[in-house]
Amino acid sequence: MASSSVKVAVRVRPFNSREINRGAKCVIQMQDKSTCIINPKQPKEAPKNFTFDYSYWSHSSVKDPSFASQGKVYQDIGEEMLLHAFEGYNVCIFAYGQTGAGKSYTMMGKQDPGQQGIIPQMCEDLFRQTADNTDPDLSFSVEVSYMEIYCERVRDLLNPKSRGSLRVREHPIMGPYVEDLSKMAVTNYSDIADLMDTGNKARTVAATNMNETSSRSHAVFTILFAQHRHDNMTSLDTEKVSKISLVDLAGSERADSSGAKGMRLKEGANINKSLTTLGKVISALADMQGSKKRRSDFIPYRDSVLTWLLRENLGGNSRTAMIAALSPADINYEETLGTLRYADRAKQIKCNAVINEDPNARLVRELKEEVNRLKELLLSQGLSNRIAASGNVHISNSCLRSSQVDRETEKIIAELNETWEEKLRKTESIRQEREALLAEMGVSVKEDGGTVGVFSPKRTPHLVNLNEDPLMSECLIYYIKDGVTRVGQEDVDIRLSGQFIKELHCVFCSEVNENNEGESDHRAQCHTGAAGGDGGLELRTGRTAGETRH
Amino acid sequence: MAANQSSEWRTVCEKLSLAQELSEVESRKDPENNPFRSKYKARDLLKEIHCSLKKNQIEEEGEADNEADCKCRQMVDEEPENDECGKSCSGDSPAGLRAARLAVVQYYLGLNHIETEELSAGEQHLMNCMKLIDKCTTTRENVSLFIQARNQLGILWAGRDEIEKAQGFLEIAESMYLLYMREDGQPPLDLQDFFVLEGEELSQQEKIRRFEMAYTHTLYYLAQVYKNLQQYERAGQYCHSTLQRQLEYKQFVPLEWAINAATLSQYYITKTRYMEARHCLAAASVIATLAGEIPSEAAAKESDAECEKREELLQKRAEIARCWINYCLNLMQDAKKLLEDNIGELDLDRQEELKRAHRNEEEENEKGRKSTILFGSSDTFDSICSLEEKVSSMLPLDFEEARSIFLVGQSYVVQAKEYFAMDGHVTDHIEILQDHSALFKVLAFFEQDLERRCKMHKRRVDMLEPVCKDLNAQYYLLICRQLQFELAETYYEMMDMKLAVADKQDQPDVHTIKKFNHLCSSSMNYYQMFLDSIRSPEGKFSEKLEDDLLRPALVAKFRVARLQSKFISSNLATQLENLTHSLESYNFVVQYCEENPEAKKAVETELELSIEMVSLLPLKINRIGSKIASCN
Repeated sequence: MASSSVKVAVRVRPFNSREINRGAKCVIQMQDKSTCIINPKQPKEAPKNFTFDYSYWSHSSVKDPSFASQGKVYQDIGEEMLLHAFEGYNVCIFAYGQTGAGKSYTMMGKQDPGQQGIIPQMCEDLFRQTADNTDPDLSFSVEVSYMEIYCERVRDLLNPKSRGSLRVREHPIMGPYVEDLSKMAVTNYSDIADLMDTGNKARTVAATNMNETSSRSHAVFTILFAQHRHDNMTSLDTEKVSKISLVDLAGSERADSSGAKGMRLKEGANINKSLTTLGKVISALADMQGSKKRRSDFIPYRDSVLTWLLRENLGGNSRTAMIAALSPADINYEETLGTLRYADRAKQIKCNAVINEDPNARLVRELKEEVNRLKELLLSQGLSNRIAASGNVHISNSCLRSSQVDRETEKIIAELNETWEEKLRKTESIRQEREALLAEMGVSVKEDGGTVGVFSPKRTPHLVNLNEDPLMSECLIYYIKDGVTRVGQEDVDIRLSGQFIKELHCVFCSEVNENNEGESDHRAQCHTGAAGGDGGLELRTGRTAGETRH
Repeated sequence: MAANQSSEWRTVCEKLSLAQELSEVESRKDPENNPFRSKYKARDLLKEIHCSLKKNQIEEEGEADNEADCKCRQMVDEEPENDECGKSCSGDSPAGLRAARLAVVQYYLGLNHIETEELSAGEQHLMNCMKLIDKCTTTRENVSLFIQARNQLGILWAGRDEIEKAQGFLEIAESMYLLYMREDGQPPLDLQDFFVLEGEELSQQEKIRRFEMAYTHTLYYLAQVYKNLQQYERAGQYCHSTLQRQLEYKQFVPLEWAINAATLSQYYITKTRYMEARHCLAAASVIATLAGEIPSEAAAKESDAECEKREELLQKRAEIARCWINYCLNLMQDAKKLLEDNIGELDLDRQEELKRAHRNEEEENEKGRKSTILFGSSDTFDSICSLEEKVSSMLPLDFEEARSIFLVGQSYVVQAKEYFAMDGHVTDHIEILQDHSALFKVLAFFEQDLERRCKMHKRRVDMLEPVCKDLNAQYYLLICRQLQFELAETYYEMMDMKLAVADKQDQPDVHTIKKFNHLCSSSMNYYQMFLDSIRSPEGKFSEKLEDDLLRPALVAKFRVARLQSKFISSNLATQLENLTHSLESYNFVVQYCEENPEAKKAVETELELSIEMVSLLPLKINRIGSKIASCN
């Protein structure tokens, strides 16, 4: 299924020893997919409810039937993600939550059996599946990279020599990438574990050296998984590359930029002290207004690297999951609520690449007209089978006119649909099929330039399209003789059949005037019996039946 | 202040400056496991200062009290009990000064406690500070302290979610500033002025700077308070004033200021306040140039610092250009909304009417607003104004007016694309192209000549089509879909126009018909590509569409249905085939909504028409069928 929205899971951990010692109370409850949180200060207040794709109850122990183990979490999220990776999709798992809420336990876990987190389980699974492969034409390769994003800067955690900040970029074919980010080839999970370990060490060192406590620091571990296939038939090599990104988003408690350590980021009323945050306030203001209106605002990005990261994983054809780690303890209520809200918003995370279609107003109007026309038709059909039988009314493909649909208009529409040359070119085959029929009907199949009817005769006056249905008659050519040509039902030069054709329908008189160039100019007169009168009309080349009717 | 010159006084002053040094500089180096070490040291010093001030005060007032054996800690934390300063005590009297000096120490103690997360204690000290000076009239001596203490209390209460209380403190600070400036207006004493030795006083300019800075903060905090109270209009106004004051008192970083002003313009655009938006943008462009020359490419290669500076300057300027594009686009689109009839065509009567009435009134209106929003110190004011004059802030009412705005927008497109090149900035680059396309689209609305209008749409196709073809959907799926949809719509629009042109001709030529069919099938192809992008890798169409795809997908099907019946063909069999496809597509919409009733709401009109067509089209198909039969 091609889905671009984010799968969101939350998971609550057991109390730690400190919380047990303090006699902490659990503020989280879960049932099926929903999670609710109780405000310990206002226990009378209704608990706040959230629904996610998964709510994992890992607060108790394995003995609890509702307990969600590491294996369960991997089965739900990891296995599906790995499957997508084999299919060639990019996949991404975001982990979010306050430090100490169990983020790294869910993602990495412990070494003990049954305690491994999503990443080790997924890697082992990946290598197991590639090892099981017996197809000699299919081979695999795995590379990893590890980077950290803080204060709009990107640092390579696997290359100690990498200087300064790396640049994030996008390539139209190759997709988003980080310039000069090192990639390490790996062949088994222990390689990956080693590299992760190295990266984590580099990360901590950097954090203390630079006193970066006030920054948001996100870590991104990427596994590049390539499947190469050699096709023996064509001896072509194809490669399917998918990217597995594991993103550790900075905890909310580190987001405060005032520099006051330990200050908690709260939702709502907080005031930023420093004028350096004016931009944030203004963007929030512009953003808030903009949500109702489409792209009416362009907000210069403040977190452009983070935006890039999210865009990469939400804007493409990727499968994304987010796991929010929750602390159960009452003292962490504020942070946990913040995490839940964030996770709730994540359900709606979409890139701003929504499709905004044009209003349909004109099309709707057109179509309503057509519907009315067709209804009228249906009505007239019910009233009088005559019309239906004759097949006279052709509702045009193109509906140009409003409600007054008379036959005249339809003729014009029909002609708009077809021009002589076009018709003749297109319908050669049909004409051949009909040849016999034509001959029987007494239609002239006299050759002109060798081929039957391919060219309109240039020198001889002729009639085309005398069938009531203009579409039937594109190849019918009736020549008008010098002198008088009679048209009608029976005993005439040109025989027509149809509801309204009279016995002697009309008469054409043709006389030739020699002109200077020596070309003959044919003029024919038409007496239209159908109209009941006997009015003479001078005809010229190219006039259509519809026009001659009056 | 003879006493102040004593060595004792010197010690007090030195202690205070040491306390500040500890609090602001040293504290940054404090270890993680003892994060407030320096702050605590500073606190001790402040308490000592408070103690000696208190002692002095008692001595000076000649009231040797037995209680004056000064248990410092106790005294500092207690409420001040000296009532000798009556309500009518003047702020500049010796008693007033003494009170102010103590209040300053209370203020610093308050800050110190807040910064070490002892909020209640911090609040207490700030309240002590307020009480000390509340008893005196507001004067040059204490007005700055007054405002700063209230600023801090505002932040404190906002942090406790008591936003109205915060608002109260800040609004009083605001009115106090205004009152002082009206009644006195002389540079007031800064907090530091209370603890300096003779000859080391702050200069007048520095006093003004600090005082005005404090008030700028008041406005900035009020902006946030109003934002949190959801009074966005006022919040915007206060952000604007904050920016104005930063510029006026030269307290800004050019690039940062410029980006903030440009962002504010986007807020004004959402409020359709184009005069304000334009002023912000013009100021942003001008102030951004104060950030210095862009280092050359060669220089950037030489040093990392230059490279970063170059990157930053280019990026911010390109971002400001994008804000300008958005300004032009929205201005034109809003005008379109005002001028269009119910099927999106220019309503000529309405145009006339607006041209007559609107203009003068609007201009007068803006003049009134203008004076309050002006940015700019004397040196930048002219450049800002001349930049403003290059583009109108009035809604364009005819093609000429629209065109001049379009051209400005287009020039910013060129500018923005220079930095946001396809190679490296795919998403941004395409967003700019989409804006460019939207500019053409809205310009076409104002164009009356169908052929020329069609050419404008052709330009859109020309700029989007190559990008759409080259982009890798694995990474840019959503953008691909947007582009496919827009291209489908553009071709559809062009087809409609060709039809209208053909309709006017007596005898449409072969070329026109061919062209028409080509546009039809191009439009259909892009809708189909869009619809295919929703399929699974196995090619199956999703049984249940995602919310954000539901309407686009069904509308695409609906349009495809329409297009299939629009093809012009002489061949009956082809006609039959096209109509059958059309029926299938209408049927898809109907079927989907039957299986997923929640979809009905999203496509009400389309569904209604599809149901009609599903019931009526067979009639048409049968006719053609019987014609074919009768031919054979």
